[in-house]
Amino acid sequence: MQAWLSTHTQALTRAYKRMRTQPLATALSIAVIAIAILLPLALYIVFANITNAASRLNTEPNVNVYLALSATDAEAKDIEKKIRALGSAASVAFIPRETALAEMKKRANLGDLLVGIDSNPLPHAFAIKPKSTDTASLDAMRRDLRGLAKVETVTMDFEWAKKLARFVEFAQRIVFLISAVLAAAVIFVIGNTIRLQMLTQKDEIIVARLIGATRRFVRRPFLYFGALQGFAAGVIAVIAVIGLTSWVGSEVNVLAASYGADFQLRAPTISQAAWVITGGAILGWIGAFVSVSMYWRQGEWKS
Amino acid sequence: MITFSATTKRYPNGFEALKGVSLTIEKGEMVAITGHSGAGKSTLLRLAAGIELASVGSVLVNNQNLAKLKEAGLAVLRQNLGLVFQDHKLLFDRLVFDNVALPLEIAGFTRIETGKRVRAALDKVGLLNREKANPIQLSGGEQQRLCIARAIVNRPSILIADEPTGNLDQAYAATILELFKSFNQVGVTVLLSTHDTLGLERLAYRRINIVQGIIAEEQVVSA
Repeated sequence: MQAWLSTHTQALTRAYKRMRTQPLATALSIAVIAIAILLPLALYIVFANITNAASRLNTEPNVNVYLALSATDAEAKDIEKKIRALGSAASVAFIPRETALAEMKKRANLGDLLVGIDSNPLPHAFAIKPKSTDTASLDAMRRDLRGLAKVETVTMDFEWAKKLARFVEFAQRIVFLISAVLAAAVIFVIGNTIRLQMLTQKDEIIVARLIGATRRFVRRPFLYFGALQGFAAGVIAVIAVIGLTSWVGSEVNVLAASYGADFQLRAPTISQAAWVITGGAILGWIGAFVSVSMYWRQGEWKS
Repeated sequence: MITFSATTKRYPNGFEALKGVSLTIEKGEMVAITGHSGAGKSTLLRLAAGIELASVGSVLVNNQNLAKLKEAGLAVLRQNLGLVFQDHKLLFDRLVFDNVALPLEIAGFTRIETGKRVRAALDKVGLLNREKANPIQLSGGEQQRLCIARAIVNRPSILIADEPTGNLDQAYAATILELFKSFNQVGVTVLLSTHDTLGLERLAYRRINIVQGIIAEEQVVSA
């Protein structure tokens, strides 16, 4: 156990020393990796925030039917019967024009503006929950409702929310794709750095092998080197995203509030940050492993 | 114990450096392989260290057939050998101390134990005061002694040295051969190659003369 610990400590120390002996090259390499991590991380954070906001939206189909202003209470009752008779509505709620006006005054603080209006500008309306949510049934329902006498407008206000949900889903897949491509890029960047390291350490590798070093012994510091670079890049990427979200976030929050939207750009959580940093280290380790394995296979250490 | 059984070493270009050599080196023995340049001395030593494998025949070190050892097994075997290279194979980006510490790092020694052993080895070869120097600052003789310190730091049972006195003047050569004698006296098997026997006069050893890849002469020399 002590030998194992000593071997790993020495490998980690050697990896750290190698990083310190080439500060510029190490810094550049870490910066490239950090950017490769930062891009998908930033996109993920943006879309995670949008998804969070979208999840609070009502995407249940909600059909609103507005009658002509001339429609009387009796006609409205008659239309309600006809809507129910269509058989496509799960529920029908009648919203009398007086109720609508009262709601409007209360919600939008438009009381003062509405004081000067002689008559109620709002029509009778119905809020309908359709039985089926598939497009064909909804289209048929819209057609049927429009065909009723005294029906002025039919709106289906869930469509944009559905589109947003679809867009978010699509965007998440794009983020996943970009993440996968950039993860491969991280592996290549670290792999290339390690390959250069191995070339500069060629003499040491040859001598070490001659006096009894196993492949594991030779590989270990390079794995730590890759992992340390990935770890450092992960930390930088997380710090950069936190900085970006706090810088852009304050403006976004103000903008969203001005539209009456409940949206706040949130920085990555501690667990998300931990995942990113760990992921960076793992990618670094993998990149180093791939590079060292290729180096062995090509037998470069033998010459 | 090292045993060569009808060992032939043929290189890819067809050159046969060793031709059916059979030889046994007993534990605790001191053997000097002599011969002209290109006779096959270095090849014999490289085969004994497992750096190269025999084309025909076998090489056994401590009853282990090197051709049948896997890479990891070969690495472990080499950890128990002390190798002194003709070109020293020192690492010039490491200090003297770190060069000698390398075999102990490989073996997984702790820093404290490594420190003790490295200083003991450097003391034995007279380089204790140079532990913080860079090998490039050392003279040829000091570099050779540093290589020996690295070879003995792991307390090997077999010491294999390829032309350890090759580029040294007579005084340095005598010092280094005295060192080998002292290791042999504590039970270490010493196998060294040399193109001349100058300086070996005061040692008791078995001399094996190789000519064109064949053992031409064997002689036990008394001090």
